[in-house]
Amino acid sequence: MERELADSITRSSARPVPGDARLSPPCEVACPIHTDARRYVQKVAEGYYDLALSIIRETNPLPQSIGRICAHPCEEACRRGGVDEPIAICNLKRVASDGAKAAGIVGFEPPAVEYSTGKKVAIIGSGPSGLAAAYDLALLGVKSVIFEKQPEAGGFLRTGILSYRLPKNILDEDIDYIRGMGVEIRTGAGVGEDIKFEELVSEYDAVLIAVGLSESRSLPIPGVDLPEVLLAVPFLEDVNAGRDVPQLGKDIIVIGGGNVAIDVARSAKRLSGGRVTMVCLEADHEMPAHDWEIADAREEGIAMVCSQGPNAIVGDGRVEGLEVKKCESVFDEHGRFAPSFCETELSIIPGDTVIITIGQMSNLSFLTEAGPEVNERGILIFDRELCTTSRRGVFASGEVVTGPGAAVNALASGKKAAIAVARYLGVEAHSSHEPVAIGEVPEDVRAQIKQAPRRIMPVRDTGQRITDFGEVETGLGEIDGRCEASRCLLCGSGARYSQLKCISCLTCVRVCPYGAPWADGDGLGGIDQDKCQACGICFTQCPAKAIDLAVLSEADIISGIRAALAVDSRDVEFGCWYSQSRVAPGAGFVALPCTSRISVGLLVGALDAGAEKVYVAVCSEDDDGRFIHGHRQTRAAVAEARAALEEAGIDPERIELSLVPEKKCMKEA
Amino acid sequence: MIAAEKKPFEQIKAVTDQFEKVLVVGCNTCVAVCLTGGEKEAELLTAQLRLQREKDSIKGSVETVTVLRQCENEYVDAIAAQIDGSDLVLSMACSIGPQLIAERFPKVRVAPAMNTNMLAVVKKHHVWSEYCVACGDCGIFNTGGICPIARCAKQLLNGPCGGSQGGHCEISAEVPCVWQLIYDKLATFGLEGNLGRIGGPKNWSKSNSGGPRTMKKEGFEP
Repeated sequence: MERELADSITRSSARPVPGDARLSPPCEVACPIHTDARRYVQKVAEGYYDLALSIIRETNPLPQSIGRICAHPCEEACRRGGVDEPIAICNLKRVASDGAKAAGIVGFEPPAVEYSTGKKVAIIGSGPSGLAAAYDLALLGVKSVIFEKQPEAGGFLRTGILSYRLPKNILDEDIDYIRGMGVEIRTGAGVGEDIKFEELVSEYDAVLIAVGLSESRSLPIPGVDLPEVLLAVPFLEDVNAGRDVPQLGKDIIVIGGGNVAIDVARSAKRLSGGRVTMVCLEADHEMPAHDWEIADAREEGIAMVCSQGPNAIVGDGRVEGLEVKKCESVFDEHGRFAPSFCETELSIIPGDTVIITIGQMSNLSFLTEAGPEVNERGILIFDRELCTTSRRGVFASGEVVTGPGAAVNALASGKKAAIAVARYLGVEAHSSHEPVAIGEVPEDVRAQIKQAPRRIMPVRDTGQRITDFGEVETGLGEIDGRCEASRCLLCGSGARYSQLKCISCLTCVRVCPYGAPWADGDGLGGIDQDKCQACGICFTQCPAKAIDLAVLSEADIISGIRAALAVDSRDVEFGCWYSQSRVAPGAGFVALPCTSRISVGLLVGALDAGAEKVYVAVCSEDDDGRFIHGHRQTRAAVAEARAALEEAGIDPERIELSLVPEKKCMKEA
Repeated sequence: MIAAEKKPFEQIKAVTDQFEKVLVVGCNTCVAVCLTGGEKEAELLTAQLRLQREKDSIKGSVETVTVLRQCENEYVDAIAAQIDGSDLVLSMACSIGPQLIAERFPKVRVAPAMNTNMLAVVKKHHVWSEYCVACGDCGIFNTGGICPIARCAKQLLNGPCGGSQGGHCEISAEVPCVWQLIYDKLATFGLEGNLGRIGGPKNWSKSNSGGPRTMKKEGFEP
């Protein structure tokens, strides 16, 4: 007899509301575009790559590209970092897109967009901020035409970042998706050259300037006009376009210590096969490039000379070296860039090529007297909140107004501008409220979280990879990807309780291994989300059913049971993502972070819903699984459920407990 | 709290098998605190009954609903619709619950799913002990805050019997001799001598042996 589990149980009073997310995980808060990292990481752990990708796309128009190159501030904020190592959230973004691609499923079909507003926007520049603005405007029903001066779209993602970090076909796929939404991108269309700025202002309902920082800064030092002195941006453009760089010798000096300098150095290494030395003002510990990029460059044999400032490029008619002076400090007491040198401590670094990578500036030569205006330093006058310039109907986004930053920051800037532009056009658009993060994992709880090493991104062999521009990182892959995703603490997704239903019986206080529920003389005071690990034990024990879990609630598990029964099987298996192995491969599968959240009610209820047999996977006593104490609840629930069956005259063997056969994640990385 | 235990399933089913539309009503106060009759247990019993009735081909349905308490009219009246739609109300409250339901809903049959057994303290998680028998005339100040009526197997009022051995009651090594506890407690205050004092006879008419009790209070009436 089939029975609808949820429908036939009459609810007497309010269930707790799962997903009541007053406090967000720190990864989401730290992300400039507030991607729901916890949710997509959870889907990767479950193996639902297409769902993970669609979650990423809720906020991110360039999922594959960002999944390769993001500066990942989420990982710095990741609470797992306080336990062992942060979750490889960026790498998992790639696992999601690679996985969805491998399965050939949705996530790669752009949605059909209805441009119902009849408004159109001109966007100057097809870099990340322009693309992000176009994407979000499309979702709001506003059509964009992007004007890109380069022959191909992508801005600095194409002309500045190399294929060994971001393959061009990957970038193409992301951009084609945006095109597929009806966003028109006109390449080889430079504003100021091929089309006048004033034409855009008059023909379009709004204009967004997203031109980035396309010009390299140079140094006013002797020798800068020698033929073997190159600037970063044109050099990278040539490399990315596949053009030869005849001035490149065998002994290259790169002036600069930032991420672009790293890319210049690694490119020079690949092209020349020679020696590459980076020279920067900053001391080793304060080099502005990301630590992981510095490590990658050092792996490839690039030398770094720190705390030296460029004094002169020396050589008789050709570059023979760089004269440097000791840099004593880079920043003043206010943290401003104000390098001080010891003018007498000079030395020469020999070399036959110098590439200057000390920063970039924008090219706003297309602007006319009609505005918008720039300030005395040549920077657009800009309102950070409204994204407006001094000219009505002209907006700006990205590095042209924010200064240099990570691509994901440019996305955030473009998305913010999209809302501003939409509102200006009379289209309703809201920015979501700023999320607030939960706190650090408390010390006493940390000790109870099982350590698990972070999965390392596999890379191509160094000696081999520096001979070409093929992608260096090869992707975590499914097994390592899902294992890595399973390390996620699912911050803030744990127990919620209904104050109406709670009877302050203190059961949750007593059973929680982490001390998350707390009570005083007035009864239960709350469940501390910083401590709660979402093991589910309190949910299974609460006698008043006042507790539920914010992610994978009881209702979700019941849906999972129904879905499992709808598959051609009368059996149900409750198992875990972590093990990635099955106890009863023929049964319909209900995947959980741990079977510790399976209550007696859910077990017997599964039979009541029509299951013939219920299998429950559990970790061994020695292994103790994801939550250390969780497996004891699983065992107790099974024992109690079997006793309840026997008492009712039902064969207790219809619920079977089995050890997880193999834990793929437990293999050595 | 009032502690109650679920009746053996055999006994429950002997009653429920006779009825077509059964309503299992949970109670989220005392019996939830002692983990036997709250919403969680009500849902479990409901699932057990359904599975058993399917196996035994008993026609009908088993539904469930839980209210905060079954000892108050308003809470019981709140589920009037569900009760009116049933042939049998199986209450998981202490015996007060089914009795009140039977009173408020005279046309429906009512059965208890529980045996109400004691007024209990929570000794620790999953262990409850009888500490009070509601004698109506509490004298525990004189016995160091410990009740010899609830906790002595013989309800002795004058001290231990000869069966008190090594600090525990002759009925079981797990039951402490309450008079030993009382003596030791008074001794910590140097008051063991008080046990020699003659007190008056206990007024047992205030207990249930004096007849069923009703408590009243003066004050604002709505």
